[in-house]
Amino acid sequence: MRLLEHQGKEILRRYGVATPRGSVARTPEEARQAAAELGPVVVKVQIPSGGRGKAGGIRPAEDPAQAAERASELLGSTIKGFPVGSVLIEEKMALQQELYLGLTIDNRRGVSVLMFCASGGMDIEEVAASRPELVHKLEIPAGAKLAEYDARNLIRRAGFQGKTLVQLASIAAKLYQCFAEYDLVVAEINPLGILADGRVVAADCKMEVDDNSLFRHPEFGSEKDELQDPLEREAREIGVTYIKLDGDIGIIASGAGLGMNTMDLVLEAGHRPANFLETGGGITRELMRRAVQLVAKHEQVRGLLVNLYGGVNPLVAAAEGVVDGVKALPQRLPVVVKALGNQQQEAHAVLEAAGIPVIKTIRTEDAVAELVRQMEGRSA
Amino acid sequence: MSILLTNETRAVVQGATGRIGQVQVRWMLEYGTKIVAGVTPGQGGTTVHGVPVYDSVAEAVEKEGANATVLFVPAPYTKDAVLEAIAAGIRLVVAVPEHVPVHDAMVMRRAAREAGVWLLGPNTPGIISPGIGKLGIMPGNMFKPGRIGIISRSGTLAYEVAGYVNEAGYGESSLIGIGGDPVIGPDIPDILAEFEKDPGTDAVVIVGEIGGSAEEEAAPFIAQMQKPVVAYIAGRSAPPGRRMGHAGAIIRAGQGTVADKARVLSEAGVAVARNISDVPRLLAEKLKAGTKAR
Repeated sequence: MRLLEHQGKEILRRYGVATPRGSVARTPEEARQAAAELGPVVVKVQIPSGGRGKAGGIRPAEDPAQAAERASELLGSTIKGFPVGSVLIEEKMALQQELYLGLTIDNRRGVSVLMFCASGGMDIEEVAASRPELVHKLEIPAGAKLAEYDARNLIRRAGFQGKTLVQLASIAAKLYQCFAEYDLVVAEINPLGILADGRVVAADCKMEVDDNSLFRHPEFGSEKDELQDPLEREAREIGVTYIKLDGDIGIIASGAGLGMNTMDLVLEAGHRPANFLETGGGITRELMRRAVQLVAKHEQVRGLLVNLYGGVNPLVAAAEGVVDGVKALPQRLPVVVKALGNQQQEAHAVLEAAGIPVIKTIRTEDAVAELVRQMEGRSA
Repeated sequence: MSILLTNETRAVVQGATGRIGQVQVRWMLEYGTKIVAGVTPGQGGTTVHGVPVYDSVAEAVEKEGANATVLFVPAPYTKDAVLEAIAAGIRLVVAVPEHVPVHDAMVMRRAAREAGVWLLGPNTPGIISPGIGKLGIMPGNMFKPGRIGIISRSGTLAYEVAGYVNEAGYGESSLIGIGGDPVIGPDIPDILAEFEKDPGTDAVVIVGEIGGSAEEEAAPFIAQMQKPVVAYIAGRSAPPGRRMGHAGAIIRAGQGTVADKARVLSEAGVAVARNISDVPRLLAEKLKAGTKAR
């Protein structure tokens, strides 16, 4: 779950990291009031995406009237595909230098990685690709603390010393504390700004919370990232992973790898997948019924391939759910099912009794071919 | 022969008394697996399908000589359950649950590596050594004893590959699900090294999928292996930037595509299958060419 800038900054302040003064506005009037206390401000759209500046989502305002005007332009607009529901009104700060400070996870090694770069304000991935020597990295083992002296030794290599170095290292240690305690998978301050008087402030903040950890962070609610597509939203309610694609064959698979493989074979057969749908290990009769109906809602779907394994999933309940779902479809849709594993014979019997073709071998390509035959109105 | 799960394995099931745990205990027993105990704190003294249940893993180790565990506990409790098993001296930990927080997975991985314990998962179908037993959720009827080792990130895809391998008259020495999550216990070379040593394994199939770089990073190890390796990577048709079900399966900024992985693996001498149906043919070619001449 990607946090909004103001949510991230609120967390930073709790840990003692300075941020520009500011407040969130949901109406032009609130923007005007906020600016009245701050002087010249920047009006920043609060959306879960980077690249807001380039997209016109960050605009300066000299006085409260202008702040209200900027807010009324931005509120209700759509930036980078996200509807703008709020803006952050923040005091304008003259940054003498812009730095980058970030934390991420090295999945392969299973460690956190602290990254520091003296050239902030730009896309760190571009800097890392073109001038990797400018990005200084430190691995932090799972469960360890980031010692300030380790952070000092890292940041020292980027050419900092004295009071600035100590401040930067302290902020790095605090950011790591947020990272570990809030189950973040990404935490970035970019830019981390140095002011004329030597103070260091977090001018922007990007944080992403691990969706699997939301159960222990009730403050973020159980809402995951806002999904744009209504079918993808419905899939979340049902409890399956659904990705809408632009082909003609709908797919339901009982695992992620199997789903991808099925997509690959649909492509190989000269068709295109209309979706990726993966049930995970929680299949029930009801889940399957709803999954069938969901996939059929895609306007381009002309056939449905169901590819299942009975390992942790109950195949008989799955088969009954497929039958329920197919029966309730508004129009006829060719469906072919391949289902193997525990309870396979009983599941095959349920499907065949309902007139649904079943492929009983390992060959998913045969299931694709059979479905294509049905879609083209040919008999086997 | 087999790796990790052998005739010496005496397993406990953590979470044996739960809804899924009970069903899986029955299926693992029916497959012939030596399940010596269940563990659910608070349920000590009961039984599941005739298997005694204890309150702690340490007690199961003491009383039943357990040396392996398979977990069916809710994701929020998985980290503690894994750490408990490691502390009790268990040598093989199979962490089936999905949706485990990644920071927990990092702690689990570190603890297992420091203790020299095999940790499969999180989000693994488990391990099966056909004819010996299974610790995990894979349907037993999809496998048969043989001399091919299989390593997979995905469960269902591994079953599919095993099906084709068996159809061609082979069978499996062991199938290892390493886990579909971004942070997991094993690195692919760890498992490859076990198959390389195992006298009961003639060749290895790596079943990969898009995202990450685990397959690519295994290439240098594969290049110096004696036994032939065949690979299949799923997700050619996956759109970039989307998580394809497994949190680990996402193509980022042109990295982790099927083409990238296939190229790096081919350079290391791996026969890369375009479709799963090509796997048996590539295995036959590699095995015919002999172990050294690749």
